[in-house]
Amino acid sequence: MTQILQYLVMPLVHIVVALAAILTFIALNGLILVYVERKVAGFIQRRPGPYEVGPQGLLQPLADALKLMAKQLVMPRGADSILFWAAPLLSFTPVAICLMPIPFGPNLTGWNVNLGILLVLAFSGLNVLALCLAGWSSNNKYSLLGAARAVAQSVAYEIPLLLSVLCIAFTTGSLNFADVTASQSHGLFSWNIFVQPLAFLIFFIAALAETNRAPFDLPEAESELTAGFHTEYSGMGFGLFFLAEYSYMIVVSAVGSVLFLGGWNGPFLSGHWWMLGKIYALILVMMWFRWTYPRVRFDQLLNICWKWLIPLSLMNLLGTALIINLVR
Amino acid sequence: MNLNSMVHPVYGLYLMLIIGGGITAVRAKSLVRALVGLIVTLFGVAGMYLLLAAPFIAFMQILIYVGAVAVLMFFAIMLTRTSDGESGFEDKAVDKTYRSRGFMSIWASGLMFAMLAMAVVRYMPRAIPLKPETTMAQLGEFLTGPFVLPFELISVALLVSMAGAVLLGFERRKAK
Repeated sequence: MTQILQYLVMPLVHIVVALAAILTFIALNGLILVYVERKVAGFIQRRPGPYEVGPQGLLQPLADALKLMAKQLVMPRGADSILFWAAPLLSFTPVAICLMPIPFGPNLTGWNVNLGILLVLAFSGLNVLALCLAGWSSNNKYSLLGAARAVAQSVAYEIPLLLSVLCIAFTTGSLNFADVTASQSHGLFSWNIFVQPLAFLIFFIAALAETNRAPFDLPEAESELTAGFHTEYSGMGFGLFFLAEYSYMIVVSAVGSVLFLGGWNGPFLSGHWWMLGKIYALILVMMWFRWTYPRVRFDQLLNICWKWLIPLSLMNLLGTALIINLVR
Repeated sequence: MNLNSMVHPVYGLYLMLIIGGGITAVRAKSLVRALVGLIVTLFGVAGMYLLLAAPFIAFMQILIYVGAVAVLMFFAIMLTRTSDGESGFEDKAVDKTYRSRGFMSIWASGLMFAMLAMAVVRYMPRAIPLKPETTMAQLGEFLTGPFVLPFELISVALLVSMAGAVLLGFERRKAK
């Protein structure tokens, strides 16, 4: 009986509590990021952004969320009914699993897995599948084009992303986020961004492309494909895709800060504040990019990946392996 | 009730995923739904790897098969839309070879099943419900030690197929 309590009930309780905490975090973040993104956009384009609802427009995201929830759910004629509604769910659910193994503070890990990095990479790949299903089942040519773009883009950019993460795995010798954080705890210059600057650059560019953020937001490109894969979604169908996109920004920024920016390491403040600050700093950089750079053309997008990022990341990986062997 | 008996319901769940996904993949009318069935099966197999205490292979299964191979299959389905109808639908009434193809597929899968079943019955290992986890280091030692020849053979096969794909691409371009 004690065995069952120790190996079954306790971990289960732990996981349920962690999941609840992470889902709350995701939902609150969705609200905050919507507001921040619109304010940042306004600031960059020299306009006020939302300011009517509540003080400084702070209640605007709540109003938006209420509007989305109250809207009617519409399905186009000739759409595949099961896959059409499965797609937004499939896009959103893996996010919770992706945030589980990330150490948000010294004692703030949802689920300490030895293969944490691999877990995040594996489950974040499900998003592409969701985009494909959404695009195909909508029975609409814009959606289908958006899905085709999403596949080509994410399959191409997954390679440099994996290779740059592999560099960190080589230098640390582990796929556990806690070990990676521990290896960067010897002052500022032990952070991997200084050890592996090229890997960080490649990781960040590939991550922008994987999360479909501008300048790589071709799957949804409003000006050419109306809204790409989610053209036909209304109400919470669209809301879930939207929430998933913002949550993947958090996942990518969290993984980036653990792998390259020292995780929760930092002086004076306690660890989780540092981690939160780093995550939001990366997200703000992503927003800054979005409102600064124009969208790239599709052939340019693939050329950047196949002609620059993949050879560079391969060379970086080979160099890392060589240096590790020489040092040993 | 001890901990080992808890494995059975989980095993049953994965088995249901595998078989249910397989039936969907075979029975579905639209190719995309069949692909979704295949993905469910792949998830079930990943779960089986987890039960075998090999989480690395389980996550790799999801990363490679679900995240890359299934997505590329999807791409292929989207690119092969027929000119006169929906993409990925198989019309049973028109196709005259439907019956004979069904017979052939049953024959082929039955042969495969018989071979696998014979191997399992002959060399059945003792069941160990909860094993210690197989670490990545152990896997690496296996791949570079006793299994180095099959490992290299597989990489050569992959290289050949990749070179072949590139070659086919070049020929297509010349023809234009």
